[in-house]
Amino acid sequence: MTAQLESSPVTSVDAELQHQIEQFLYLEARFLDERRFEEWLDLFSDDIHYWMPTRSVRYERELDKEFSAPNEVAHFDENKRALEERVTRIRSGMAWAEEPPSRTRHMVHNVIIEPGDSPAELLVRSNILLYRGRLDRDVDLFVGFRQDVLRRSEDADYGWLIARRAIYLDQTLILAKNMSIFF
Amino acid sequence: MALDIRGLVDAKQGTVDPRIYQDEEIYQQELKNVFARCWLFLAHDSQIPNPGDYMTTYMGEDPVLVVRKRDGSVGVFMNQCRHRGMRLCRADAGSAKSFSCSYHGWTYDLSGNLVGVPSEDDAYHNEINKAEWGAIKVAQVDNYRGFIFGTWDPTAPPLIDYIGDFRFYFDAFADRTEAGTELLGGAHRWVFPANWKFAAEQFCSDMYHAPISHASAVLALTPDDQDVDEEVFPMEGMKGRQFSSELGHGTGFFVESGDVLANIVGQKPADWFQGGNPEAVERLGDARAQRMRGAHATLFPNFSFLPGINTLRIWHPKGPNEMEVWAWTLVDKNAPADVREAQRIGTGRTFSVAGMFEQDDGENWSEIQRVLRGHMARQSSFNVQMGLGHEWHDDPDFPGKVNRVYCEMAARGFYRRWADMASGMSWDELMASVGAAVEVSG
Ligand code: FES
Ligand SMILES: [Fe+2]
Repeated sequence: MTAQLESSPVTSVDAELQHQIEQFLYLEARFLDERRFEEWLDLFSDDIHYWMPTRSVRYERELDKEFSAPNEVAHFDENKRALEERVTRIRSGMAWAEEPPSRTRHMVHNVIIEPGDSPAELLVRSNILLYRGRLDRDVDLFVGFRQDVLRRSEDADYGWLIARRAIYLDQTLILAKNMSIFF
Repeated sequence: MALDIRGLVDAKQGTVDPRIYQDEEIYQQELKNVFARCWLFLAHDSQIPNPGDYMTTYMGEDPVLVVRKRDGSVGVFMNQCRHRGMRLCRADAGSAKSFSCSYHGWTYDLSGNLVGVPSEDDAYHNEINKAEWGAIKVAQVDNYRGFIFGTWDPTAPPLIDYIGDFRFYFDAFADRTEAGTELLGGAHRWVFPANWKFAAEQFCSDMYHAPISHASAVLALTPDDQDVDEEVFPMEGMKGRQFSSELGHGTGFFVESGDVLANIVGQKPADWFQGGNPEAVERLGDARAQRMRGAHATLFPNFSFLPGINTLRIWHPKGPNEMEVWAWTLVDKNAPADVREAQRIGTGRTFSVAGMFEQDDGENWSEIQRVLRGHMARQSSFNVQMGLGHEWHDDPDFPGKVNRVYCEMAARGFYRRWADMASGMSWDELMASVGAAVEVSG
């Protein structure tokens, strides 16, 4: 029984590595929820591509067209500078969608780790459940999964940098008046 | 008690009654007299290029299928089965040979004709007249430079007359080259808990909100060495123009200002839009090709766009208190690859549900709507008086009724048209008032 489990791909990831990556993702979620956006930005590599495609309702036979393609429009299609501009905007005190600020809670689940393209990289898949409360009555729930590339970095404060992030939401029509938050 | 809808808008004094945004009875009149009569934007040619391609959308709250037929023409019909009213197609878009109802299987061809009924012989004894039970077809469909419009009203004037004197300005967006325009794939679609008219009016007439509502985005995107007041959003109204059509359409833009467009959407698309596409300059002339900067626009009632930023969107009404925004990004077909790519990124980053500009609009409209739950909040009029009586008709570059860029003339035009239509005024009267206005303005 034990031998069988050990040889299964399900348990092929080292428990210590799994723990480390999960803690890293929890830390990231904490930075966002505590609005420590500058520290959050430091978790990304300078060549980060942060991307969330749009999605549409399709019949099964055309599900391959459900998400917008990389050369089509996206909700987020950001490099590091663009992410920094978004943070500058929020910090201006005049970003009315975030002033007064939203209250967010990022729940990160189902973390699955696979080898990346190079020995220094990992492919990390996680589910997210993101609650956003705004003003006194606004409630938004965003559910989806993320595909990250995490890169080992000796210079990084926390040992890893997020080098790619793709976010796939489980809504087509977005049931929120804006997405002034990060995923 | 019959509602006097026309009395709720006083374009001469510049006031509107807030009940137009909130009252259920007015909303039903609006669906009937505005959305079931106006020419409404449905789709762009490039969204349904091949026979069988379809997309689903709405005309008011009525769902419709927009289909490329085998002969290349476009069919538009109610997305509703005639048997018991089931929604025929539940996908946003796709490709089909026919549409089969998931309830009992009635089948319609690409034109909406009923072509198949299960057990037609046994259950119906071959007595059903299929020709009578096709999907309800939209009365008129027309295509202006790749933009497909439809109206439920067989008596509506031709699309070209409906666009009317707004055509000069619409062409700066739609008719830039012989090859035309196309939409990038993918769509931004989201829900706003607010009446659709807040959005349509703002895109029609409101440059005034931009420096305040969008202060944070302007700040974040303006290079340190630029002066926002001088170079991005000049606060001097004569540095721009607003245009208002008697037909309810409107637009506004800067004629002198350096970098408003470049700062929002990026240098490459801005340069391309403002003179970099030689064919557009030739076709549109200097004023429209180079001096309609950072423009906002609404084609009455609910089709809005930002020339240069190149977002276009429909504000779909969903009850008096809610709308859906469906937004796309437009590019010139002959735009170079690097311009397209920069446009794709720049438009999405600024005008979309996560857009750095558009996020803040949502806060305004949804909070206005919430305040209007109060009885007393609905008792006093809103002020739409900016620039009242200061229009001119003899601008050397920009024809029609124009004014300074910070102005509410186009909002007054929008609401007056809306009130005339919503109250049920006939097309004869509606178009006669336009003719008279054009005569007066020489
Ligand atoms: S409702 Fe469509 S077949 Fe019956
Ligand atoms: Fe705005």
